[in-house]
Order: sequence, then C-alpha cells, then structure tokens
Amino acid sequence: MLSYIARRALMTIPTLLMVALISFVVMELPPGDYVSRYVAQLEASGQSGARDRGATLRKVYGLDDPAPKRFVVWLGRFVTGDFGDSMIYQRPVREVVLPRVPLTLALTLPCFIISWIIGLSLGIYSATHQYSIGDNLLTVVAFLGLGLPAFLIALALLVFNWQVSGEAMIGLVSLEYANAPWSLAKVLDVAKHLWIPVAAVVFTGMAWVMRVMRGNLLDELRVNYVQAARAKGVPERVVIFRHAVRNAFHPLIMALGGVLAWLVSGTAIVELVLGLPTLGPLYIQATLEQDVYLASSILVFFAALLVFGNLLADIALAWLDPRIRYD
Amino acid sequence: MTVASEAKPLTPVAAGTEEPKAAMTVGQLMWGRFRRNRLAMFGMSILIVIYVSMIFADFFAPYGVDTTHELYTSAPPNGLHVIDAQGKFHWPPFVYGFEAQTDPDTLRRTYVPKTSEIYPLGFFVGGEPYRMFGVFATTVHLFSVSEPGKVFLLGTDSNGHDLFSRVLYGSRVSLTVGLVGVFLSVVLGAFIGVVSGYYGGVIDNIVQRAIEVISSIPQIPLWLGLAAAVPPDWSPLRVYFGIAVVLSLVTWGGLARQVRGIVLSLREIDFVTAARYTNCSTLRIISRHLLPNTLSHVLVIATLAIPGMILGETSLSFLGLGIRPPMTSWGILLNEAQRVRVLIQEPWVLWPAFFVLLTIVSFNFVGDGLRDAADPFAGE
Repeated sequence: MLSYIARRALMTIPTLLMVALISFVVMELPPGDYVSRYVAQLEASGQSGARDRGATLRKVYGLDDPAPKRFVVWLGRFVTGDFGDSMIYQRPVREVVLPRVPLTLALTLPCFIISWIIGLSLGIYSATHQYSIGDNLLTVVAFLGLGLPAFLIALALLVFNWQVSGEAMIGLVSLEYANAPWSLAKVLDVAKHLWIPVAAVVFTGMAWVMRVMRGNLLDELRVNYVQAARAKGVPERVVIFRHAVRNAFHPLIMALGGVLAWLVSGTAIVELVLGLPTLGPLYIQATLEQDVYLASSILVFFAALLVFGNLLADIALAWLDPRIRYD
Repeated sequence: MTVASEAKPLTPVAAGTEEPKAAMTVGQLMWGRFRRNRLAMFGMSILIVIYVSMIFADFFAPYGVDTTHELYTSAPPNGLHVIDAQGKFHWPPFVYGFEAQTDPDTLRRTYVPKTSEIYPLGFFVGGEPYRMFGVFATTVHLFSVSEPGKVFLLGTDSNGHDLFSRVLYGSRVSLTVGLVGVFLSVVLGAFIGVVSGYYGGVIDNIVQRAIEVISSIPQIPLWLGLAAAVPPDWSPLRVYFGIAVVLSLVTWGGLARQVRGIVLSLREIDFVTAARYTNCSTLRIISRHLLPNTLSHVLVIATLAIPGMILGETSLSFLGLGIRPPMTSWGILLNEAQRVRVLIQEPWVLWPAFFVLLTIVSFNFVGDGLRDAADPFAGE
C-alpha cells in the first residue's frame, strides 16, 4: 500500500512537468504576445513612446529570449515558489492569484456540498422508487440540469431576478457596498448576489450526481446479495443503506478525485458571466490576453489539484475496497 | 458480446434439405431493443426533425442569415394570432404590424403592435433567393409575410437580424461541429486504443502516460487554452475545423482508454489466438477481429460524447473563443446575451439556449437507449 502511494506520488512530478510544458506551448501558439498587443493599444489611443515602453517591457518579462529558454527559466523559478510576474497586473503571479483563492473556495465549497447531498439523496430515492411519478419528475429535472450549461441557467436566473426585483445582480456586491466595511447589510447583499451562481451550479451538479447514483444503485439492487438479505429478513432500510448504497457509492469515489480541481476551475464560465472576482475569470482573462506566466502558473495549479485529488481518490478506493490492491 | 468472424453450421446438413435460416444479426437485435425504448425513440424523432430543419434551413427560415431589418432592431417576438382584436377568426395565422416608439420615461425603444394592420402568413411564398444544397437557385420559403409586415418568431437582435432564421442557420455549425469532433475523437481514440491494448508493453506505457497527462488538466481550462491557440486570422472554415480538433483532443483519451480495456479482455479469446496461429497478419487481426467487437461500445461512447461537444462549442463561442463571425452558431447567438444589461431588457436573446437544451437532451436519450440496447444483460 505504502509503496503504491509512493510510486504514484513520484509519477506526478513528470506529469506536472508535461502539463507545464503543454500550457506554455499552447500559450505560445497564437501569433504575437501580450506586449505587442499592449503596444498596439497604446498606439491606437494616441500615446507616444509606446514602442519604447514595449521594448522595456519585453526586456523585463524576458520576451526577447527564445521560448525554450524562457520555459526553462520560468520552470527553474517555479520550483522555488516564484511563479513569474503577471503582465496584465504588473505584479508577481503569486500576489494576483492567492487572494482570489479564498473567495473562489467560499463560493464553490458550499455548491459542492449542497449539490452532492441533494444529488445523493434524490438519486437513492429515484432508484428505490423506480418508475414512480417522483422518479419520472426527477428524471426530467436531471435532463434539464444535464442539458443546460450552468452559465445559461445563471443568466436565466439573472433575468428572473431582475424582473422580480428590478436589480441586476452582477458582481459580488452592489455599488453602495463596494468599499463599505463589513456589516450585516453587506453580508445580506452578498447573499443576494451569490444565490444565482450557487443555484445554477448546484442545479447542474446535483443532476449529474443524481443520475449516476440512481444508475449505480439500480445495478447494485439487482445483485444476488440483496435478494439473499431480504430473504433473511433484513429490514429494507438496512438492505438499502448499509449494503447497496455503500457499494453503489464506489464509482462516485473516482469522481470525487476531480472535485478538488473542480472547486477552483469548474465554475469559471459562470463566474465570468456574472462578473465575480474569482480564479476562473482570472484564468480566462490571462489566456485571452496571453499573459503567459499567469496563465501557465494557474493551469499547473489546476492540474496539480487534479492529480493530487485523483491520488487521494485512488487511495480512498483501495482502502475502502479490500478487493482492490495494486501491487 | 463477440461476433464470430465467419458463421458456418457445424452440423452436417442432409442432402436435399435447405440450409437453416441465419439468426438475427447483432445489429438487428440491437435495433429491436432500441425501438422498445420509448424515450430513445422520442429523442431520435426530435433529432431527425432538428437535423432535417438544419439541412433545409434556407427553406424553413423566413429571412436570410445576414438580412437586417434596420427599423426593427432589438424587437421582441412577434406573436402569431388567429383571433384579431375584433374577435374574428383568421386562417392562416397572422401577425400584427408594429412600429417603434420611444418610451418618454425610460427613453427606451418599445415596439407597439398596431392591431389595425394584419399580415397573414403565406406558405411556400417567394422570398429571398438562396441556393438549395448550394446547387439550384430558388426563392421558395416555407412561410413568410408580405412586406411591410415582419414575422419575427423569436424577436430580433441588436443588429436587426431575425433570431429565428439565425437559429436555423446557426444549427448548421452547432450540430455538425459535434459530429466532426466526435468522428475525429473516435478515429484517433479507437485506433490508438486498439494498438495500445494489443501490443502492450512499451507502446502501451507511453500511450497511457500521454493520456494521463492530458486528463490531468481540467476540462474547462484545457478547452479555453486550446481554443485561444486557434489563430484569429484564420478563415472561419479553418477556425471551424480548429475548434472541432480542439474538442476532439480533450475526449479522445477517454475513448482510447475504454477501447484499450475491451481489447485487453478480447486479446486472449480463442478466435484471436486461432487467428494468430493461422498466421494472420497483425493488421488483419486488428481490423477483422478486434475492431468490430469494439464497435458497439465505441458507438455508445461516441453518441454520449456528442452532447459534451455541443456544450463545449456553445460555451467557447459564447466566450468569443470559438467559431468566428460571419459563421454563426448557437453559441455566437448567445454571445448577445453576455452583456447583462442587454439581456435584462431583451430576454428573448436566450432562445438559442432552448434549442441547445433540446438537442442535448435528445442525444442523451438516444445515447442511453443505445447503451441499453447494446448490453444484452440490461434488465427492464
């Protein structure tokens, strides 16, 4: 067991190296770079000295060096904790990224917990009352949640909210509270803004969990031991919860591996659409404007979380299921 | 579920008697099971309707894709009525004429219907010229109203384009880019999966590492990064294929892994061993024995991957990273909805989302039906 963990942990290092390489290459593919775009912008607005500024910026960010050299230099600094500088914000990447992480997690963690609790409960209900009216209704709800991207649901909720209350709930806080100190009123205001992304994300997440749980549980309930347990006289509740659900939950543990990465990156588009100051929109902006170091660092961060999460999930699965023993 | 490569009756048949009829093929069995699944048949019929209207988009759309109606920008949907203001019944359904007015309080443009002007729908009327199948020129549209009446079933956007017509034209991109992407994914994934599973060893290891690296990057950031790498100065058609390639790059890994799993379990089955002992070339073993047995799984996985691709293209185009104008897709149409101030005052720009939903749900039904039909042990 320990050797398995050690081996998997060691393998993550070359994997992450490759991810860093891929993200760097992908960032280099579009023609031009951030500085040339910046210079073009300056010239368009009629500012003089744009070209000189551009030359200085290129030297500062090392954009004149060939790409492989830049990659190696950046990678060397990366392992020491220096992730390079962001060109858009003109600050070290670490200063730009880290403050956004708590807010991102504050939004996505509740979404995750709520959607899994609701999804699991409804999935179990759906499987144990198969083909009932409740099951059919939940199937319809699930297909809505699976068929609509979360950002569209968020937009629809935004419109609905406006038609009811007359306020556009974009961003984290309304204008009046933007620089105000924290108070109960401000908390309420944030809640009024945040219910929209939470509802949209929970709706889609819950739909997926519900369908998977329902399918797994239905498969489990067909296996012999369920019939044997019932014949023995075991109460139905115990049959379902202590035996069937525990086995049905196993495939979902693999899915839980991806949750860590999802918490920071999965809701990116919803956050962008609603103007929330979180990690997702930051990554999108960095990618669009070719802020190489910022975008690559964030991507490696996402991938590291995914790799780590999958490792935890594999360990959990091996621990829970004595039949799985990797050697 | 395996398919014997050649089926010959083993029992000797007495001379003069007829050969026993062959049993139903696997395909026929699958189709029979599929047909009994009502949800799947329902999804399939919706998909047929959607794809037919995509092919004949020019015919079904009352206006062209780029036709602007400058007097009616950002107009709400024009309702179809059958009973007019006086209570008279009309057939065919009609639309009211309407004109733009500026609300004095909010200074916003509103459109007021004029119940005095009635424009009945005409069917199979002449309208704007187009080329059916790009070959023969014609002007026949399914329905339209005579000028100066306008029929905007889903309203217009800020440029004055009729949204309903654009949804029909946009379906051409949205519906096909998923198919192209899945096709690329299948070709790449199935081939690599079979090779990796059959040869094993070093090749298998390399392929598995590569797939692991790609799957280590969360899907949305990977899409965004790759889509941003498609050069903006490419022609719209090249961008279309670029986006299809991007979408397929993210999903081929999962397909390859599944195919590899199937091949691993098939490798040791008797008929493969027999083929090897009779000196079959590796290519023949792969193409005649291994690949056909993976087909049903590949078909199910591919069908279930299409909704993800459609969602991916919609999201990318919505963000401006996908299909570029003047090509239009549902995602681009929804881009109008991105500016929230616009969306709040003109909620009808969200209509393309309904079509996205309908398509994806139908594909999910069909995919689920295929999966249940392909699995001979699926219960009731």
